Amino acid sequence: MSELSSTTGNLEVPYTPPPATPHLAPREWVRANLFSTPFNSVLTVMSALILATIGRGLLSFLFNPIRQWDATATNLRLLMTQAYPEEQYLRVWVCTAVILILTGLSLAVWRAGSHVPVTKVGRNLLATGAVVALMTLLAPFSASATVQWLVAAAVVAGAGETLRRGVGMRASASGAGGSDESGDQVATISTLTLIAIALGGLVASLWVVPYGHHSYLMDRTPRVLAEPGTVAMTTKLPWTIMLLIVVAATFLGRSMRDRLPTNATRATLLVAWLLAPPTLLYLVLRDPSFDMGHVLGTDLPIFGAYAIGGGLLLSWLTRPTTGEIGRIVAAVVLVVGFCTFLTPMRMIVRIDMLMLASFALAAPTFAGGPRARRRYVTGWLGVLGVSSWLITAINTPSTVDVPGDFFIGGLSLTFIVAVFTIVVSFPLGILLALARTSTMPIFRLLATWFIEFVRGVPLITILIFFSIMVPLFLPRGMELGEVAAVVIGYALFSSAYLAENVRGGLQSVTRGQHEAAEAVGMTTGQKTVFIVLPQALRVSIPPLVGHCIGVFKETSLLAIIGLFDVLYIARVVMPNQTEFMGSTRENVLFVSLIYWIFAYQMSKASMRLERRTGLGER
Amino acid sequence: MKSKFLKFLALFLTITVVAAACGSDSDGDDAAPATTAAAAATTTAQVEVVAEGSLLDVVQARGTLNCGVSGSAVAFSETQADGSVTGIDADFCRAVAAAVIGDAGAVNFVALTASERFTAVQTGDVDVLMRNTTWTQSRDSSVGMDFGPTTYYDGQQLMARVADGFSGSSTVADIDGAVVCTNVGTTTEKNIAEAALLAGADITLLGFETSDEVYDTFINGGCDITTTDGSALVGRKVKMQPADQEWVIFPATPISKEPLGPTYGQNDSAWADAVNWTVYAMIIMDEYGVTSANVDATCAEAEAEVARLCGGDGELQTAMGLSADAFHQVIKQVGSYGEVYDRNLNPVGLYREGSANAGWLDGGLIYSPPAR
Repeated sequence: MSELSSTTGNLEVPYTPPPATPHLAPREWVRANLFSTPFNSVLTVMSALILATIGRGLLSFLFNPIRQWDATATNLRLLMTQAYPEEQYLRVWVCTAVILILTGLSLAVWRAGSHVPVTKVGRNLLATGAVVALMTLLAPFSASATVQWLVAAAVVAGAGETLRRGVGMRASASGAGGSDESGDQVATISTLTLIAIALGGLVASLWVVPYGHHSYLMDRTPRVLAEPGTVAMTTKLPWTIMLLIVVAATFLGRSMRDRLPTNATRATLLVAWLLAPPTLLYLVLRDPSFDMGHVLGTDLPIFGAYAIGGGLLLSWLTRPTTGEIGRIVAAVVLVVGFCTFLTPMRMIVRIDMLMLASFALAAPTFAGGPRARRRYVTGWLGVLGVSSWLITAINTPSTVDVPGDFFIGGLSLTFIVAVFTIVVSFPLGILLALARTSTMPIFRLLATWFIEFVRGVPLITILIFFSIMVPLFLPRGMELGEVAAVVIGYALFSSAYLAENVRGGLQSVTRGQHEAAEAVGMTTGQKTVFIVLPQALRVSIPPLVGHCIGVFKETSLLAIIGLFDVLYIARVVMPNQTEFMGSTRENVLFVSLIYWIFAYQMSKASMRLERRTGLGER
Repeated sequence: MKSKFLKFLALFLTITVVAAACGSDSDGDDAAPATTAAAAATTTAQVEVVAEGSLLDVVQARGTLNCGVSGSAVAFSETQADGSVTGIDADFCRAVAAAVIGDAGAVNFVALTASERFTAVQTGDVDVLMRNTTWTQSRDSSVGMDFGPTTYYDGQQLMARVADGFSGSSTVADIDGAVVCTNVGTTTEKNIAEAALLAGADITLLGFETSDEVYDTFINGGCDITTTDGSALVGRKVKMQPADQEWVIFPATPISKEPLGPTYGQNDSAWADAVNWTVYAMIIMDEYGVTSANVDATCAEAEAEVARLCGGDGELQTAMGLSADAFHQVIKQVGSYGEVYDRNLNPVGLYREGSANAGWLDGGLIYSPPAR
């Protein structure tokens, strides 16, 4: 109750924080939580034994000399990019750099404020050391290896303990002078610094630790090369540069945060993230070689005409005084758009016309003062610019010389399909959910049929249909890459499920919200965009993220239509190399680790998002 | 009400259109007016598949050979760490490309699963199939395929432990009461069941999804026998036999015939001739001892049959629609049959001597019609 009052702010009720959890000494904590009753003691001992057995089994699997870990080490390139030409790897590094710059900027802009107490870091290090020592004792190591690992564990634990003790003492020393809070403030470290130290350590270890160099030599008689004790320059140099780039980006982001308006910076970054996948995909797979004469002579004038004409039209349409005549004009634009689309003409003209029509139809929803109107026109220019670039780029020959279809696979394929499926199916799913809950019977029926039909068909069927059947239906002269066809099919499939998740969120928005929005005079469009959808999406975060993780993992079904995703390579392709027969278990363990890392990051991001939006607290 | 309807319609349409346009590699500009002539010139040349002509002309115009392989078959078509494809099947793809296009590197390997391989040929996704495909009556007739000369004579065999009392002279009748492991969904399952029935042996079949699972179970004693094509068994025996076990492969005469070779769509004689004679040329050159190392010197002073295959007097390659030195290029860039065999199959313990894949002069089945 007091929390509620303090958030409303008008009532003069002071905020009382929740009572602190009593801090127990380790011995007391163990007694209170693990050995409180005889039954609990038995349970604790039993589960400790089971955990130790599992740990020992896993460790003896990992460190068994008959394990072919060099299969994984040699095939890392295959697992990541399959047959992407080596001389073009610079493109991949440029993409990585762009993503890292965005990551660095975003980290600085969003998470610069977060700190962790140094004592906590020390405690974690101590715990890590203890776990490593325990594992070493469990693992079937030789005596010298055991000693080495124990020493390493002791070093880690010792560092943790020193950190904890030293800072703790300094804190208590300063605490004697000032209050307790100031002691706490001294002993914190920013999470960004921690991440930088961890990454720096990893990259530095490339220069120091002899991990070994595994590569494959393509020759008349191919052979696998394994050199212990070195790390190739092509591995350590790019990663060092990447580290420097991300650190520089973080500093840049920090200074940007201090100088620029926060919201505008964040919005720009979000747009940049959204534009990153198609742009980078083009850079890696096509890198269009633009014919400048054609671009200047044809594409730019078309863009200019649409930008100016469309901008003026939209600026007039968003004027609140335009009224009913605006809707009629918008409808005319739509009809014109349809006619253009059906007549043979440059694709860019047809698509831009339809986009203009949809913008014109949506214009009354965004009508308002000069600022709102300017924003809407800017939005139109942005969408127009991006789509014009995309369309022009699609129709331009590629400069990347790639040997046909069979060059992209592995983790890159998994990522490309997952990212594009999620990005495409999100708006589609929201539209389907809105259509299904709308009062308009045609849309409701269409959406319901679509959703129920797609949900009734297995994903495998859809993938096979889109990879084999759809290319047969295409008009002459039109080609659809297999990956593109699969992404379209998968996005349609995913959008049906996503729509149901969003619909659940839509139903949680109470009637009162609708009525309140109507009472202040909002149109249906405004009500949906500004009142209903934000609340509905917020509620649907957990199922939506769950869905995204599912999409990411289900990309392994691509193997059925002959595409080599990362799991298929590990499970089928690598064990069928002459050198590495029978290495399935090692490979699959490695790939499951990759899957876990990314899936876990997604759920962590979702947890942060839930906290930020206050989900589950009200 | 009406505007809402239109709004949603427009949004739906836009999204579908954008999605469709983004997915396509080339748009519908072909019907555009004269202003787009420049654009048409800049876009990549599209090769129209002409219904009347031979695939040979199409492949030569395209400049690359789309070759269907497995991509995950030990020694036949392996995908290597750098994404390249090696193996005897992959080398025959390269040989056909060298003959037809003149460049062994002009191959676009298409990885195909067993179930989609014939569809891929029928839809024109691949020009030729080198995917350890067995030549059978049904595939030759009702499936609509044509088969080239057999490049590898395989056959299903069984593998067991010597400790269980098996030897090289054991027969299918000896496996009465045994547990047999094999891959599911292949003809091996059917073959062993039929063979056991004929021999009067009562067996228990265990099916697994991947080969590694089969051999793991076999090594750990989960089954007494494992069965698949002889070539795969030899490879596994060489690479995976543990120090404390001794494995043996039997019966000496396989329980099934698995002739493997190039496969292509039916009723295209020009294309079939090009593929078949690439293989035949490699076999003939092998009989004369010509290899990639000595082909230039040999061709310079060759007589009769070798000279004709090299592109000298009386050559017949130009009559087939190939360049005169097509087979010279095949040997130079890829190698003779023996070279290709040794390079890919010797590392997994498969040798030509004494097997069905020896030349006919050495008592094997590898034989070619004369080049004249």
